[in-house]
Parts: sequence; C-alpha cells; structure tokens
Amino acid sequence: MSGVSVALLGFAAMLGLIAMRAPIGLSMLIVGAAGYVHLSSAHAFFGYMKTNAYHQFANYTLSVIPLFILMGALAERAGIAASLFKAAESAFGRFRGGLAMAVIGACTAFGAICGSSVATTATFGRAALPEMLRYKYDGGFATGTIAVGGTLGILIPPSVILVVYAITTEQNIAKLFQAALIPGLMAALFYCITIAIVVRRNPALAPASVKVVVERAAQPWWPKIGGGLAIAAIAAQTARGHLAWDNAAVFAGLAVLFAIVDVAIMPAILIAIVVVGGIYGGVFTPTEGAAVGAIAMLLVGLARRSLGWSDIIEALRQTAETSGMIFIILLGAEVFGAFLALSRLPTIAAETIGSAGYSPYTVLIAMLAFYILLGAVMDELAMILLTLPVFFPVIQALDFGMPADDVAIWFGILVLIVVGIGLTAPPIGLNVFVISSIARTVPIADTYRGVLPFIVADVIRLVLVVAIPSLSLWMVRFFN
Amino acid sequence: MSVPELPVEAGAIHPPPATVIERVTSIIAILGGFLALSVALLATASVMMRWLFNAPIDGDFEFVKMATAVAVFAYLPYTQARRGNIMVDTFTGWLSQTARSRLDAFWDLVYAGFAGYIAYSLATGTFDALQSGETTMQRQLLIWPSIGVSALLCALLMVAAIVTAWRLIVESGRRTPR
Repeated sequence: MSGVSVALLGFAAMLGLIAMRAPIGLSMLIVGAAGYVHLSSAHAFFGYMKTNAYHQFANYTLSVIPLFILMGALAERAGIAASLFKAAESAFGRFRGGLAMAVIGACTAFGAICGSSVATTATFGRAALPEMLRYKYDGGFATGTIAVGGTLGILIPPSVILVVYAITTEQNIAKLFQAALIPGLMAALFYCITIAIVVRRNPALAPASVKVVVERAAQPWWPKIGGGLAIAAIAAQTARGHLAWDNAAVFAGLAVLFAIVDVAIMPAILIAIVVVGGIYGGVFTPTEGAAVGAIAMLLVGLARRSLGWSDIIEALRQTAETSGMIFIILLGAEVFGAFLALSRLPTIAAETIGSAGYSPYTVLIAMLAFYILLGAVMDELAMILLTLPVFFPVIQALDFGMPADDVAIWFGILVLIVVGIGLTAPPIGLNVFVISSIARTVPIADTYRGVLPFIVADVIRLVLVVAIPSLSLWMVRFFN
Repeated sequence: MSVPELPVEAGAIHPPPATVIERVTSIIAILGGFLALSVALLATASVMMRWLFNAPIDGDFEFVKMATAVAVFAYLPYTQARRGNIMVDTFTGWLSQTARSRLDAFWDLVYAGFAGYIAYSLATGTFDALQSGETTMQRQLLIWPSIGVSALLCALLMVAAIVTAWRLIVESGRRTPR
C-alpha cells in the first residue's frame, strides 16, 4: 500500500474512532501511532516518543496557551465582565435591543483580555443573561446573542485558536493577532447591525429602551491619575525608542478614552491595551504578554477584592482542565502529523491540487465550505489540527497573487472566522451548549433560532474577508 | 460534543471535585497551576527588568519551557479524572446508557495504555538525559528532573484513566435492569 492510501485509510479510521466515542486526542494518538509504526517501525516510534512527548510540551511558543487561559479564568472571576456590561449598558440602553448590543460591546472588550470563546460565553451567561431576562428580552434572542458574543473571545485577539494555527503552520503569532483585529471589530459591528435589524423586524424580541441608572457619584479621581501616569510611562518609553510605533495620536486617543471612560472598566481596558498593544508593537513576545496579562488581572482582582483565595484556586483548576483538554489534542495532532508527514500525503496533495489547474479561489472556497460543514458536527480545535497538515501546504502551493506569507496569515483569519461560525451553528455549537447549561429555562432550539441571523452576518463577513485580503493584511503592514 | 461533557471551562457548571481520584489529581493540577503562575511572574519580572533597566532575566525562557511542560503533564490526570476530554457522542445516541458507559470505559483503558507507554518512554528519556548530563543552552539547567517528573505525572494519568474506567463499569453495572 502506498503512503497516501495508508494516510487516507488513517483519516477514515480516525473518523470511525471519533464516531465510536473515542476522545478526539486519543483517536489521533491511536491512528498516528499505528500509522507511524506501519510506515516506519515500533522501535522508531519509541525513539520518537521518548524525545517528543516531553519536547512537544516544553515549547516556549505553546506556553502562551495555559497563560492566556489563566488570564481569562482570572478575568472571569474578577468581576470584569459585569463592569464592562454595565458600562456598555449605559451606552446602548436607550436603543431598542440595546442590552443585546451591550453584550456585543462588552464581549468585544472582554475578547481583548480573554482568548477563549467558551470562557467568554460562560462569563456573559452569568453577567448579562439575568439582566436581559429581567427586562423581558426574548429568551432565545438573549441566549443566541450571548452565544454569538462569546465567539468574540477568539475573534478579537488574543485568541487561543490563532495560537494553535500559528504553531501548526509555523507562522508569527503577533502578525496573526494584528491581522485578526479588523475582521474581529467587523464582527462586533455586524452583530450590532444584525441586532438592530432583527428587533426592528420583530419588536417583541426586545423592549423599546431600558433606563439605566449609572452611579456617577461613585467615580473616584485617583484611578484617572494612575491611568494618566501609566500612559505617560508608555509615552516615555516610546520616546526612548522602546516602543516600535511612536504614534502620538494613539496616546492622545488613550488620554481621551481615560477622560470619558467609566472608572470600573479602566483596568480591563488598560490590560487589554498593554497586552495586545505590547504584542502588536513587538514590546514583548505573546508568552510574555499573556504572563503580564495574567499577573495584572490577578493584581486587579486582588485590589478590587473581587478575587478571593478560593476564586484563585478555582481559576487554577479551570486552567488545568481546559489546558489539559487542549494539550492532549495537541499531542495527538503532533503524532498524527508525524504519521502524515511519513506518508507524504501533504506534499503529494499540494502537488496534485497545485498542478490540477483549479482556480485558487475555487480550492479556497471548497475548503472553507468543508470547514463550515465539518465545524457544525465536530470540535473546532480538533478540526483545524486534523486538516491543517494537509490543507495548509495546498493553500501555500496555490497562487493568490500575493506573497506566500501573506496568504498564510490571511488563511489563518479565514479559518478563525469559520471556526467562529462552527462554535454557534447547529447541530453542534459549543457556545450554544455552554449558554444552555447556564440558561436552563431557555430551550436549546430557541437558542439556535436566536443564533441564525448572526450566522448570516458571519457568512457576509467571511465573503468580504475572502474578497478583500487587505481587511486582514492592512494591520500587519501597518505594524511591520 | 454533548452537554454532559461540558464541565470543561464554564465556571458555573464546574462542580468541586467529588471522588478520591478527582481530589488527588486536583491537588496535583493546582500545584501545576501555581507553577504556571510562577512562570507568569518570572516572565512579567523579566519584561519589567528589560523595560525599566534594560536588564532582562537571562535565559528565563528556559525555565518557562520546562515549567510549562511539567505544568501541562500535571494538568492531564485531572482532566482525565473529570473526563473532560472532548469526544463526540452524536453517533452513539442509539446505544443504551450501559453500552455507552462500557464503550467509554474501554477508551479510558486504551488511554491508560498510551499513558503507560508515554510514561515508560519518558522514563527511558530521563535515564538518557541523566547519563548524558544534558543541560539547557543558556542557564545550564539539567533537564532530566523535569522529564522525570513528567514521566511520574504520566504514570498518574494512567492510574486516573484506569480509575475512571473502573468507575464507569461499576456505575453501568448498577444501572443494568435486573
């Protein structure tokens, strides 16, 4: 049997194992190990595992994943989401559907300090859902909005999915984070427009407006001074040439932001700016950014007294479980990828499709359609880890009329968008499951109905980002 | 994925550890969490030193790498004890609850087998690194202790998977109609 047929058989066997309830990481391990031993030898596989099982995890780039998860887990418990939602509520409350828009706005900000969509969904399920139901929002509309808002956790950088993409395809994490910003903000805008259209067509979904009482009296002056000092420090560092982008307008914008912004959300905004801005500007590596973010979040939580000892332990436990779940899939994907490389399937697929004369866009659209279908029934992380070893070389071999590095970044953003769709689309949308487990009173079918208009918005956004690669690449060029 | 598989991550649906194996592995996982926290502290300190005094901590990334590996291996047994690993149950809805539990127990045993194999290969790797006295490039840190700890944690993963398999079999036996 040729290597390619062994690899194809391997894919089939793995899907079979997954269908028979084998955990996804384990399925990849089983098939990867069997294929490796078949194409090489048991002795060679042992030699491979002896070094790789450890070095796969002792990886500087990968260390960013538990740190971002830790940062998100601490943010989840530090009461950040509730403050963000309150601030957004007072901004959007006067519109019909304003609370739904507030969820999107707050999720956008939260997405800049949290790299996980599940964590974002769960957080806002607790921070925003009771308020929406209290104001007589339609149940499915409310839960659907939160499930979709949760995807902003990965759509807005930092993003665990993008880190995994970067590691699998050996791309630069900072560039992917830069490229994700405009499509991520577009998502937030499109979701708000969707909400406006949906509530206009069906006013029963949301009350006309919500009078929000904002306690303006509780605005102390000292955090503004602290924020001002922080900005001055950043500006000073820029002047000394430690920050790559000495852009005075950015700092002026920041200063204005601090003058108008609610004190309660200032720590979150500041952390987001430092972490994402620092990674963008090349001030620190993504791992260092995640580390700084986690420590800053811990300090904010301790200072606000919203993080107690038990919350910290709980955050560590949650980090452990989520990271463990991700890393076992990463290990399985590593072994499976080694098997695929031995089979030469990725190289041969790239050569065959590259020379078959299909238009590059036909291949790209076929892949994205495949992802949307597969993402509807499968875990998104496993999906990209399984397919990228084959899809990525194919994409790199096609000529889109731009440098291969640009194509790699752009494709990463497209994958991110389809992953976001897969997280909410029926019949298997992880975010929908999360919100359903919190909102026991809302039937899951109602949530899926609430999600549908947003999926239309996502597909429109996907088409735009496919048609206009600059939407992704402009920021990358700006920073490099 | 199924709703019952969800305890993964969402805080509200994250009940405290119940069984002995969950408690033991959760302590190990929390220690791993503190290791991750110390990684974060070290990296933050290094960033601050570099930023303020232009004097970063040398070779901090070597500690970050080692500690991350050990922390991740410390997480795996806990994830297994809570059966937090992602699986798809869309295609097995037609099976009885007992059959599903037994199938899950079977996969747990296969997982235990792999964990044992990895623990054994890591133990071999530990002795190799011990004999060669392999160190990291910059700080000359010996690498065998971290591989050795990883091997032990992998052995704990094997135990956790055997316990969850056993638990599933016992529970499915109880549910069998008489």
